[in-house]
Amino acid sequence: MATDPTSPPVVEFRSVTKTYAAGTRRAFTAIKDVTFRVDDLHEHGEFVSILGPSGCGKSTILRLIAGLLPQHPPTSGEVLMRGKPVTHPGPDRGMVFQDYSSFTNRSVLDNVAFGLECDGMPKKERYALARDWIGRVGLDPDKDLHKYPHELSGGMRQRVAIARTLILKPRIILMDEPFGALDPVTRQQMQDLLVGLWRELEATVFFVTHDVSEAVYLGDRVLILSNSPGTILTEEAVPPPDRPSREMRREPDFVNRVFEISSLLEKLEEAAQHS
Amino acid sequence: MSPTPDPPESNPKSAEPTDPSLSGALGQDTEGNFPHSGMRTDRGRLARWFTIRDEPGGLERFLFGIACILLVLLIWHILTRGEGEARLVDPYTLPSLKKAFGSFHELWFDRALMRGAIASLTRVLAGFLLAAAIAIPIGVIAGCFPRFHAFLRPLSIFGRNTPIAALIPLTLIWFGLGEVQKVMFIFLAAVAFIFFDTTMSVRSVPGNYLDTAYTLGARSSWKKGLRRAFYFGLAYALLAAFGLQWLSDPPTLTFVEVVDDAPPPPAFITQAPFWIHAAIGLLVGTLLWLPVQSHQAISKVLFPLALPNIVNSLRLLFGLAFGYIMLAEVINAEFGLGKIIIMSQRIGPREHIYLCLMVIALIAFAIDRLILVIQRRAFPYVSHGH
Repeated sequence: MATDPTSPPVVEFRSVTKTYAAGTRRAFTAIKDVTFRVDDLHEHGEFVSILGPSGCGKSTILRLIAGLLPQHPPTSGEVLMRGKPVTHPGPDRGMVFQDYSSFTNRSVLDNVAFGLECDGMPKKERYALARDWIGRVGLDPDKDLHKYPHELSGGMRQRVAIARTLILKPRIILMDEPFGALDPVTRQQMQDLLVGLWRELEATVFFVTHDVSEAVYLGDRVLILSNSPGTILTEEAVPPPDRPSREMRREPDFVNRVFEISSLLEKLEEAAQHS
Repeated sequence: MSPTPDPPESNPKSAEPTDPSLSGALGQDTEGNFPHSGMRTDRGRLARWFTIRDEPGGLERFLFGIACILLVLLIWHILTRGEGEARLVDPYTLPSLKKAFGSFHELWFDRALMRGAIASLTRVLAGFLLAAAIAIPIGVIAGCFPRFHAFLRPLSIFGRNTPIAALIPLTLIWFGLGEVQKVMFIFLAAVAFIFFDTTMSVRSVPGNYLDTAYTLGARSSWKKGLRRAFYFGLAYALLAAFGLQWLSDPPTLTFVEVVDDAPPPPAFITQAPFWIHAAIGLLVGTLLWLPVQSHQAISKVLFPLALPNIVNSLRLLFGLAFGYIMLAEVINAEFGLGKIIIMSQRIGPREHIYLCLMVIALIAFAIDRLILVIQRRAFPYVSHGH
């Protein structure tokens, strides 16, 4: 069905503006007039990195796609998913957060199986699937199964968060700085893990990050937002992550790309401080 | 246990922390090992006593507690030593240690200490259980829906700021002189606090768990909720039917009967009030839990995540409620620890007052520990204090 050229875009923003506490003195516009579309590509979903100076409304865009309060609904404009306005959150738009959000009262197994449990899948089936996914994200399906989140390291917790999101096979995966709190080595491991898993899934990924090289490495396309209120400044296509992170980061092309985008962002940050 | 041979050694007189003889006896030297010197290795034990937040081991903590008890008993002994003029405090005000503990036999047999303690405990349990059964579901709903919370807040503030003792005359007017009055007094004293703590526990669950639950597909279904709420309703029906049956009988008499003879035939089961109470319990329980069970975001996420905090606050509040029952019993009761205390004050022996106070403290402590053990078992993923 993805071959159908008339099929609506996966996500479309039509001049979306979000103002908090509108009409009061504390009114704050997080994003203004954001318009972009991500087409339904044949055979594989697109990986869209979102970059921008801090506080420019990157998370707002993700949460609008997810349909989460208080960002949803937008003050004006339309957020469309496959041609239909987003009305509420749902499992077709999985989200991985920066802060560890594994349910502290559930074991790894029950955390990963949570979405299936909500869907009413019988215990045996959902545990079998969860076991499989625990292995796929690089956790030990025997040892880690019954651990509680407080017994896991930050990297392991994010592996759990990725597993429980992907197990539902969402059409869209929203990632809000998922590796922001991890050390550089773990971070690279997680990036490679993500690339590997995403290939199998055919999902469109929106990936918010502060790290320019992460955005360039992972993304098919990088959206760059201006300072607050955020608008889309430019859009750059970048080569897809077809080699391991360690190799690709050494190539001169890659280094130049990262340098260009970094200096653009630095200018934006400076402009923000002067205004 | 091991500490029993210790008391003669740790004579409270030498328990002064600065006493050099003690540190010598423990084989520690304190030279240059005070915390101010910055040397954290190889410190003497005495120096560790003066280190901020230096955690002692379990046995050491226990021994310090024992030392305190011994010190209190020693002061008591010194105050009541000797006869006549030589005595520091007259026997009317404070009986001697020996006399106080010597009267235990009489307290146990003539005053039926055990029966009194059980009567008091059952009253608190009944009132507290009733308060929890109503306040927890309402508190969870209020914690999830801020408008409902705003609606109930005036009642909650009123309930938490009314002096508990001031409720006694009202409960006597409303519920008479019997068991119902005691149970309802505990209910009224506890319900607003349980509601408030439950609401706060649910509200303080971080929002990212809720966001996560929604993006993983947590949904709402009143149909499924009704089925699950119905199970809660059944439990409430049992509690209401048997609880009210128990309240209409003098509980202390049934207790004695059950121990001595075969259990009495449950004639009441065939009677109409029993079933009416059960029906009311079923309805109330189902309705209270319906909103909670109908939303997966509440039943699977917010409520379970708040539960450890809720149980912890129940543990603390139960200790308070156990104190309040004495208040009700001192004013009017046929049985109970409070009754024994007021009788001992009026017709003696006064020694019983001191023993009762100790028994109350021991029971309260034992219950606290019991709930703490259950908490640790039920919520292994939360760290609990001592």
